[in-house]
Order: sequence, then structure tokens, then C-alpha cells
Amino acid sequence: MAERNTEQIEKIRDVVAQDLLSGRIDLLLGWEKGHYWWQSRPLFARSKKDLDKLVWDPFCAVNLSRYLPDELKIHSKVGVLVKGCDARAFNRLLQDHMVQRDRVVLYGLPCPGMLDYSRLAEEAGGNLVGLVEQNGRVILKTDSGEKEAERKDLLIEKCRDCLYPNPVVYDQMLFSPQGEKSAPERFKVVEELENLSAEERFAYWEKELSRCLRCYACRQACPYCSCRECFVEQENPRWQGRAYQTSENFMFHLVRAYHGAGRCIDCGECERACPVGIPLQELNRKLIKDINELYGDYEAGLDAELEPPLLTYRPDDPAAFSEK
Amino acid sequence: MSAALNETSADWEPLVVAFCCNWCSYAGGDLAGTSRMSYPANVKVIRVPCCGRMNPMFVLRAFQRGADGVLVAGCHPGDCHYSTGNYHGRRRLSAFKRLFEFAGFEPERFEVRWISSSEGDKFAEEMETMTAKIKALGPNRKMRDARWQSVTQSK
Amino acid sequence: MPRIGIFICHCGSNIAGTVDIEKSIEAARGFPGVVHVDEYRYLCSELGQDLIKKAIEEHNLDRVVVGTCSPRMHEVTFRKAVTEAGLNPYLLEVANIREHCSWVHKDIEKATPKAIALLRAAAAKAALNDPLVAPSVEVEKRALVIGGGIAGIQAALDIAEAGYIVDVVEREPSIGGRMAQLEKTFPTLDCSACILTPKMVEVAQHPNVSLLTYSEVEEVKGFVGQFDVKIKQKARYVDPVKCTGCGICYEKCPAKTPSEFEMGLAKRKAIYVPFPQAVPNIPVIDRDACLYFRKGRCQICAQECPPQAIDYEQQDQIIERRYGAIIVATGFDQMNPSHYGEYGYGQHPDILTGLEFERLFNASGPTGGKVVRLSDGKPPKKVVFIQCVGSRDKARGMNYCSKICCMYTAKQAILLKEKVPDAKSYVFYIDVRTAGKGYEEFQRRAAEEYDVAYLRGQVGKIFPESDHLMVHGVDSLSGKTIEIKADMVVLAVASVARADAPEVGRLVGINSDSYNFFNEAHPKLKPVETHTAGIFIAGACQAPKDIPETVAQASAAAVKVVGLLSKDMLQGEACTAEVNQAECSGCLYCEAVCPYSAISPVEIEERYHGGTLKRTVVEVNPTLCHGCGSCTVVCRSGTINLKGFSNEQILAEVDAICLQR
Repeated sequence: MAERNTEQIEKIRDVVAQDLLSGRIDLLLGWEKGHYWWQSRPLFARSKKDLDKLVWDPFCAVNLSRYLPDELKIHSKVGVLVKGCDARAFNRLLQDHMVQRDRVVLYGLPCPGMLDYSRLAEEAGGNLVGLVEQNGRVILKTDSGEKEAERKDLLIEKCRDCLYPNPVVYDQMLFSPQGEKSAPERFKVVEELENLSAEERFAYWEKELSRCLRCYACRQACPYCSCRECFVEQENPRWQGRAYQTSENFMFHLVRAYHGAGRCIDCGECERACPVGIPLQELNRKLIKDINELYGDYEAGLDAELEPPLLTYRPDDPAAFSEK
Repeated sequence: MSAALNETSADWEPLVVAFCCNWCSYAGGDLAGTSRMSYPANVKVIRVPCCGRMNPMFVLRAFQRGADGVLVAGCHPGDCHYSTGNYHGRRRLSAFKRLFEFAGFEPERFEVRWISSSEGDKFAEEMETMTAKIKALGPNRKMRDARWQSVTQSK
Repeated sequence: MPRIGIFICHCGSNIAGTVDIEKSIEAARGFPGVVHVDEYRYLCSELGQDLIKKAIEEHNLDRVVVGTCSPRMHEVTFRKAVTEAGLNPYLLEVANIREHCSWVHKDIEKATPKAIALLRAAAAKAALNDPLVAPSVEVEKRALVIGGGIAGIQAALDIAEAGYIVDVVEREPSIGGRMAQLEKTFPTLDCSACILTPKMVEVAQHPNVSLLTYSEVEEVKGFVGQFDVKIKQKARYVDPVKCTGCGICYEKCPAKTPSEFEMGLAKRKAIYVPFPQAVPNIPVIDRDACLYFRKGRCQICAQECPPQAIDYEQQDQIIERRYGAIIVATGFDQMNPSHYGEYGYGQHPDILTGLEFERLFNASGPTGGKVVRLSDGKPPKKVVFIQCVGSRDKARGMNYCSKICCMYTAKQAILLKEKVPDAKSYVFYIDVRTAGKGYEEFQRRAAEEYDVAYLRGQVGKIFPESDHLMVHGVDSLSGKTIEIKADMVVLAVASVARADAPEVGRLVGINSDSYNFFNEAHPKLKPVETHTAGIFIAGACQAPKDIPETVAQASAAAVKVVGLLSKDMLQGEACTAEVNQAECSGCLYCEAVCPYSAISPVEIEERYHGGTLKRTVVEVNPTLCHGCGSCTVVCRSGTINLKGFSNEQILAEVDAICLQR
């Protein structure tokens, strides 16, 4: 069992319970425990009673904003708990006109970063039964005793290089913000890949993408994938072939990443959702890195008022090809 | 199957698909013709209204279907018939080219060029250069759809 | 399955010389959907076209592919031919096997397979061609001109003379604009009022023209042929029908406020006409200055007005009208050079901008036409003119050349010499630019006959010393420092876009460059058109320019408007974007990249779980769309598509062209 952060949960509950009762919101998107103690899944709370299940623990990785467009079809006002990435996802959806600002109440949760069960289990060695957090360290409890580890070493991939743990948009901030973060290694893998030869890079991606099951979990989890009909499912024209082969794997993943060019908020949900562990975020980060280099710094999701870089231009833009 | 189509043959000839905007580059191609210039027949042009119409998916599809190189040609920045198409095209295709290379494709396989309607000579030169580069690089095998090839070879 | 007919042209030996026609025909017979293949020596000839028409009938063809010269050459010809045979013109497709094949490849062994590939691609595309109809719009035969300066006046007169109704909206109480502020005009030195006033009167009296002065455009909706415009006519508080223009009201009015027309150098009354030759000669009451409106008492004007035309109860009015075309001629502003600390503008009454100095020459100006120092009323004996203040200055001003300053400075130096014969002028310049008929001669006259000293160099500092202005500069030709004990300094400040130009641009629906000047549709070939069909620009709102150029541009814009209004219906582009609203997610990215504002959001109702749900999708106005297809690429789901160059068609071409290996 993860140690319950009772005090914080009570605070969240108090605030949202009041809003549910007063009718300020008719639904709250939060988290509840899943099948295992190390899983937290989305909670759809419509009443104060539903809030008994609410949790806020180091496993609340699921980006809740992704559920907003659907929930807004049936609820008139929805409250949502937002970490840094959920808030940026909200801005993504807002900019894509998938949500209306005045129909959503955002409760900001500064996020310490979520923990990765596989890393925890590996670190613990034995059968992991619970954990306790203490001053940036995690005490892992196993059948055979306890083991201590640095919290930062146990973070899930998407949280390691998170630059914005604090919600960038909210109606009410529930706790005091986390300190400033830097992410010196955000583009490390991209750069390593860039330094390989074309053949090596192709071999790398061919191998990684060969595992793709075309389950589209990456798409389902992604806040930038908000099309009503995805290109992969279209019959006319048939953009995407169904075969499991290199050609179609590249088609899908390059096009999906490209659709996020200038839009991806780098929340890493695609990669977290991928059941076969394809390093999808590196494709997204490559685009983020290049677009920043070519067309000026831009962080999608930080400010919904700033035009995404591929929707605008400057007459003196540079190009990635010879303009002679 | 002729020698030119046989990838292992020394006479192998690459297929280069060139997407040209109607107003500048396609017209530049016309001028290369009326001026009786010459460039390799490996290049086959598809006319699009503007390079702002170029969806990178068209490029990937060409590679799937067996193109060895793809060129997109548009008006010089500032000269777009639709005023902003090539400005948008420049950003979109730059981002795509970098991603395409990142996935392991040789940079020469996909190029973008600005060719005006008065640059028949540039049109011919670019087609010549592109073909030569792709010929040196060899056939595109990376994204080719094996099934499509078998369809085509039976024809 | 379509029934495609393919026709291959020999073009004499132009095609047949390098493309094996027999082989091509043979291959073409095998393309999917092809039911008929034929050839002809010159397909574009009457006989060739008849061949196509007959085959359409005989073989019941519903698609036609011609293997000929470039579509840029004869697409129109063949479209016409298939139309005559009863097919929609857009069911024709051209394979360019001449310019793109037979003329550029000498080897028949290489040109033939390529020609076959091009034919195959054209047939694959043709199979997916849909009949297209260009949209048509009824044209409202009335034009709107925004701005009543010389550009707007000229454009309105030209349109009116051609027989069309035209409304001129001017935000000031009088038309005339910047030109009315000028004393004389270069290079002929004719008096500005003498040439402008007759035009002002002519336009006011023209039966086809309505002047809406003291009015502003509030809203522009619609599109070419049918712009629906709301115009706010501000209350003048003077009944224009009763007013005789006698001027007693402003003579008697006790309230004074700085005059905009005099650049703040003189005062006007609260009830006023901006200048004596104002058209219409009907005063307005400035509420902010009027004692009655401010404090509730006075009403002297009402008491004194012989025809009792004063009406304090008058209200702003909104006029709603439909126009077929619009000309934007909103003019320019002068840059305020206060941020150039070295020139000391605003800190000394004898440091003036060019336009302020111009007013000193005018008989009805702040000094009654006497050129004197505003500090002590004495005529200036030494005047320093500084060029390019804010122009050609990347760091602190504008990159561009303001174009008119070299000439008006020469003019003012000449005028000065005529008014104050013992005055001496010095001009600090970067380059003297005098391109224009009679311009170079004029400037030479200033230098040679009027003793104007041209000093190439810059002024570093101006500071007052006793009753003079010490001007410190450098002559960059000799490298020497120069010190001039001047009586007056005139700054040729940059001409800049109107402060509210971006707002006006948004309102009307046209875009601007990085300096906020309105953008023409093409820098060379469409200088008065904008990217919004039916909206044209004229004068200095597009870029700094002088009067002859402004007038020429205004007439050009008028011709474009007249051409448009002469049509009863407008034919749009057939290959336009179309959206599948059921699949549109409403992200509006397409709207963001559309250069023609042809895409707009619209709310639709949809069934959802038994109820209805309102959601936003886009719609395309086909009369505004030019068919560039930029929208299709930002539409990730391919929901917005381009007719004539659809995703399906382009993919089919790719597939077909790659099929040869």
C-alpha cells in the first residue's frame, strides 16, 4: 500500500465537494485506486459520496484533461484536477477548441512527479507491498524488509524531464507550488539518435516500431489527438495500410508525430500508454527541438493564446533545405 | 522486367517524384520544355496548386509505393500565387524533413526547392542533380511496401 | 466504374518524335476504367476537338484524358471541347507529355515509359474527378470608399464617372485628408488647395457620390459582390439641411481647443470646420471641448445661428448598406520623433516636423502664412532640415524610405527662400532620392538657384543656446564636424501607417505588413488588390507615396471596382475547399491558415445519446476560396479537402506514377 496523503486528499475533497454540492460543477475528474495498490485510475465523481474514493498519490499519472471533451458532451460543467501536464493538456484542448474555458473548473495540483512501479519493483528486489515517502526519499517495503531509494530515481519516464510540474492554468490552486525545475536531459536521447548514421537510426526505429501492435493506445491517451475520425481509420482515402510491416509502421508513427508538430505538450502519455514500450516521445521531442531551433522557442500548452508555430510564419523563416 | 527496373543491375534507374506548384515550379518545368532543355526521364511531375497543399503523407506514400526520391518545388518565398502558401509550406516541410531524416532516411531522398516560372534552367538542373544523387544512393528499400512492389512487377 | 477516354496528341512530331505513340496507346488500353483510346496529329485543332466530342458520344465517355502539351497551355481549350459534348469541364484531365516529357527527353526509349506513366497518373486522377461548378454571386452595384483624402476622392470620382453609385466614408468633419494640409505641391509648386478644392467640390456635387463625413466604418461582413457594412455617422449637433455654412457659430464660440488640422500649432473652437475650404462646409460640435456639453451652459452657437441649425439632441446614427466592392484609402500618419533625444523634438517650439513647418506657409495656418519662429515670432534666417528621421533606421525607426521627404524638404527650402529671402537652408541627408518626373530637376533647383546647402551626414545633437538652436553634425563626405547656429530645425519624420491601421485591417478583413501598411495581393502584378476579393487599397495606407502615385493608384483601384461592378454575377473558382462537417472536429486550424478568410466557424446541431448537441465546425465560402489547399494540410483528419486536387486524387496519382517499376 502506498501511504495515503490524508491531509492533501481531505483538502481536495473539501473544496470539490462544496463545488459539487453548490452546482458549480456536475462532475469531477479525479483519481481513484485501480486494481492494484500501485495503480490510480480516473475517477468520475458526480456526488460527494463518490469522492470517498478520491486519491492523490504518486501513481496519479493519467492525464485527466483528455477526458474533458467527451464529458462536456453530457455534463454542463466539469471540474478537473490538474497536474502540470494535465493543465498543459487543457490548454492544448482549449486551443484546439475541444473544450470551453467557462465550462471547466480547474483545480491545480503542483505535482512532485509520479512513481514508476516497474522501477520501484526493480529497486525493491523482493515482493513490493508498499511504500512511504520521506523528504525526497522513498522507503520501499517488501516481504523481507525495507529499502530506501532516491525519489528522483523512481520517477516514471515522463516525469523525469518535466519542466512544468505546476499547473500553468487553473481556477484554484490547491497547494503551494513546486520549485522551479530544469530538464537538462530532455533532448538527450534525441541528440544521441541524431548523432547516429542514417542506417543506424533506421535500424533503431525499424526495431522499435516493429513491436507496434497498432492498438492506438498512444492516440487514445494523447491530448493532441482530438480528431473525430483519425486518418488511420479512414477508408477513403486509405492513408494507413493495416499490415504489420515496416512501411506501414513508419507511416503511422511518423504521421502521428507530425500531427503533433508544434502542438505536442510533451506530457509523455503516449509513451506511458504504449503496451510494448516504443519510445514514442522521442519522435515528439525531435519535432519540439527542431521547431524551437528553426522557428523560435515555443512550448505548446503553456499559453493557449500563442499561435502554434505551424499555423503561422515569418517571411524570413529559415528552412531545413537549401533555398538557393 | 527491364534492366532499368532491376535494382541489382548496374543500369538501375531511380524513380523521382516531383510535386510542383502550378504557378511557379510547374511553369518552370514547362519553360524547361519550351526551351528544349534536358533532364533525366526518371523525374515524374505531379501538379499541385501550391506547395502549401503538400501534405507530408503524399511524400510518405510515394516512398511506400517505390519512389526513390521525392522533390517538392514551389514558388520562391514572397512570390506565392496565394501569398502565404510557401511560407506555410516552408515550415511544414522543414519540420517534416527533419523528422523524416530522424527516422533514418537519407536527407537526399526528400528535398524541397524554390523554382520560379522563369527558372527553366534551374528546374532542369535540380532534376538532374536530384536524380544523380538518388542514383548514387541506390534504391529506396526502407519504406517500400513489399506488397505493392509485387503487384507492380506482375504488370 | 468510370468510362475513360484517352486521346494522345502527336503535336506533329513534337510529341510523336520522342514518344512512341503506338506503345503508349497499347499501354493506355490497359489502364483501369479506360474504354477508349485514340490519337491525333493536332488534338487542339478543330478536327482534333471534334474527334474527342464524337468519341464522348459514341463511347459514352464520362471522363476524358488528353496526352498533350501543358495544361497551362490548352486545358481551357479541351475543357471547352468536352463541355460542348455535354460533359462537365472538370471531368477532363491533362497529361503533360510535351513540355514535361517529349521536349526534355531525347531518347524515345526513356520518354515513352515516362509518357505512359504520366498518362496513367492522369487517368487515375480523372477516375476520381467530380463535376465541379464555379459558384456565382450577384453583384451589388454600389461601391464604398473608406477615407476621403485625395486617394478616396479620386477613386470615388472615377467610379462615379463610370456610372456607379459610390459612398465615401471620412472620419473627419471634412474630406481632403493630408493633401488639404499642404501649402504647395512638388515639383510644380502649385497650391495644394487650388488643385484639391475643385476635386473636393466635384466629388461632393457628383450625383453618384454620397459623402458620409464624420463617420466611421463599424463592421464589414459578407464577401465580394455583397459586403454588408455598418457605418456610424457621428452626431455633428448641426442640422446639415438647415446649416448655411455662414460661420457665425464658430466666430462666436467661446471654447478653444488645439486644432488637429493645424497639428496642434493653433487653436480651433469647440464648434468648428477643420479648415476654411472644408467640404461639406458644415461645422461639428466637439463634445469634449463644448461648454454646453461639459458644463451644461453656454448655447451661444444655438442663439447666434441664423437658420437655427444647432441641434444638441442629435444622435449618432448607424447606416447599414450593401456594397459590391470596397476601396480602403485611409492614408498615413507622421511618426512622433520624441524618442530621438538628440533632435529635442517637443522640447523647443522651433523644432518642428515637416508637416508642422508646412502649416506655417499657409495663409490660414497658425501664423497666417508668415514663416516665423514660434518662440519669438521672428522670421528664421537659418533653417536646418534633417532627413530620414525615423526612416531607413533599423534600430530606432522604420527600415523603409518614406519616399516623399527629400522632395518636400526641397520644396520647403524653396518656399522659405521666397518668403524670407535672406534665409539660408541646410539639409542633412543620407542620400537624396528624387526618382520621379521633374523631381531631380526640382531638387537641383533648390540646391543651385535657392542656395540650399546639402550636407551629407548626420546630426548628433541639437541644443538651445540663448535664442538659437545649436546643431552639431558631421559631414560624412569631408569627415568634418559641422556646427550651425540655427533659428529653426525641421525634421523630415517618417511616414507611418495610421495608428489604428491594424484595427481597420481586421475590421475590413485585409492584412498588413510588419509596419502595419496594408498588403497588396501581389507586390508587382496586383498592386491595388488585396487578398480579400473585392477589397482594394489606394494611397499611403499601402506604403508611403506622393500625390501623383496616390492618384494613379486610386484610379487603378477604381478601374478594378468598376470592372467588378460591371458584372451582374461573379464566377468564383471551381476548385475550392470543401468540408465534411460530420467529421469536422472544429479545431479551426484551417481558419487560421486560410489567406482569404474563406473559412469560418459555424454551429451545427447533432444527435447525441438521444438528445441534441451543439458543436462548432467550419464552413467554406466558395466565393472567397481561391483553392490553394493550405487548409487541407493542417486538417489532420483530412476532413477539409480540395476539389480538383483532393487527397484521393493526389494519392491516386502517386500510386499510378509509381506503378511503372
